[in-house]
Amino acid sequence: MSILEIRDLAAGYGEVQILWGPSLSLEEKKLTCLVGGNGVGKTTLLRTVMGLVRPWKGSIRFDGKDISGTPAYTKADLGLVLVPEGRQLFTEMTVEENLEMGATNRRARPNIKKNLERVYTMFPRLKERRWQKAGTLSGGEQQMLAVGRGIMAEPIVLMIDELSLGLAPVLTLQLFQSLRQLRQEGLTILLVEQNVQMALAISDYGYVLAEGRVEMEGPARELAHNPHIRAAYLGL
Amino acid sequence: MSPGTIASSIADGLLIGIVYGIAAMGLSLIWGVMSVINLTHGALISLGMFGVYLLFTTFGLNPYLALIVVAFFGLLLGVLIYLIAIARVIDAPHLSSLLATFSVNMIIIGLGTAIFTTTPRDTGFSLGSVQIGPVTLQGTRLVAMVVTLIVAGALYAFLYRTRTGKYIRAVANNRAAAELMGIPSTAILALSFGIGTMLAAIAGGLISTFFSFTILSGGIYELKSFIIVVLGGLGNPLGALVGGLILGVLEGVLPLTMPNTWVPVIEFLLFVFILLVRPSGLLGGK
Ligand SMILES: Nc1ncnc2c1ncn2[C@@H]1O[C@H](COP(=O)(O)OP(=O)(O)OP(=O)(O)O)[C@@H](O)[C@H]1O
Ligand SMILES: [Mg+2]
Repeated sequence: MSILEIRDLAAGYGEVQILWGPSLSLEEKKLTCLVGGNGVGKTTLLRTVMGLVRPWKGSIRFDGKDISGTPAYTKADLGLVLVPEGRQLFTEMTVEENLEMGATNRRARPNIKKNLERVYTMFPRLKERRWQKAGTLSGGEQQMLAVGRGIMAEPIVLMIDELSLGLAPVLTLQLFQSLRQLRQEGLTILLVEQNVQMALAISDYGYVLAEGRVEMEGPARELAHNPHIRAAYLGL
Repeated sequence: MSPGTIASSIADGLLIGIVYGIAAMGLSLIWGVMSVINLTHGALISLGMFGVYLLFTTFGLNPYLALIVVAFFGLLLGVLIYLIAIARVIDAPHLSSLLATFSVNMIIIGLGTAIFTTTPRDTGFSLGSVQIGPVTLQGTRLVAMVVTLIVAGALYAFLYRTRTGKYIRAVANNRAAAELMGIPSTAILALSFGIGTMLAAIAGGLISTFFSFTILSGGIYELKSFIIVVLGGLGNPLGALVGGLILGVLEGVLPLTMPNTWVPVIEFLLFVFILLVRPSGLLGGK
């Protein structure tokens, strides 16, 4: 069953249209990735789904309900959670306070203790640094915190914008493994990722966005073997 | 000039300075959370003065009980001002919110002048005084200091220990991210503006227990607040308290060496000097 259904979405900034009618459908408890070159509108798409950018046309359905008009701060209550591009941590607050803020929504608040343990088990490094200001963490630790803060929200659908950007290969691998684990625990994930090869390797399904449109879609394994994608995105 | 005179001046300066500090804290908090320079600040200090004065002189309510009432209405008024005048322009360039607060300021000053005139008022309230060696300390000023410390401590506990307080810090730090977490930023901004206003009203209420005032008096303390936040670092509430103490001591000591009319000149020279040398404030970071 599809939990998030995006149809013919149009959106942009000011007069400039960025999204030209992409349609995406997220299968429940599956890991879907969205890849594409720089500036094709991946971030804009996620921001539109969250309500940070207003859609011009099209529909966004979450669990059957149209959410294209609801404000951003109500999305977390529904279970729709974004780990934004550039992490957007509360740099002046401690690691633990950041995680606490992640659990603001109504569903997550009662389970804050349990989820804190869950995040600390997944990323022991964060536990060691929990009284430290988030702004003083290394890039990798900040990304762990961004993902951890997303998990604290008890997402039904977790969208992650650029998981591996600027991270060392070892850390990237570790974060991808965490994602796979979350997927096995039954979370629905939409991953936007520069590292197309790795993204396709762990995903169930994939979309390729080009100039604001879905250029290609299919099971991740098929996309990984597609000659066009191998040439354009994998450099093979 | 005897050591006793100097000690008295410093003590007076410290006691009044900390009250300046709490006023500046309100200004600083609002800037820190929403990058709005609140030009209503002085008018709200004046309203705090009138609040305590009217409750005391007409109903005989003890000024410190009156202060609680004033704090509550200050909070409420601040929330209303935010929702009515500022929420709409919060994402516009800074000039828009500056002008919005300036307009509200003019409305309050205009109404206040019409209703209360500009005849000086005096609560005529006294708690006697305490003598420590050569230093005489007025009771009202001592209580004002204690109240200020309690309020400042409570504010810190609120910001760092409670959920709502943490929301305020989160919104101040990264509003878009706070929205993503499900924090209703408009409500939090309104609350923050309310708290800033409440601090101004409390400062005004305290000052009215030992100085006479008019509806325009708040303006003077608003200017002092600006000097103080520059001393303490804009957006750093604790720095405001320290900045207040520094300014208070200067005001206590400077008149011993020069005519009173020169004191503001020195203060503003200091203001410009700090802006030039350390724009982030004497105690500010970065
Ligand atoms: N706030 C904004 N105002 C105006 N234009 C914007 C804004 N944000 C993004 N754009 C433009 O929209 C287009 C799509 O940007 P977007 O960030 O969605 O791309 P992306 O696919 O996420 O790229 P990247 O891989 O570099 O993150 C770009 O041309 C960008 O310059
Ligand atoms: Mg992007």
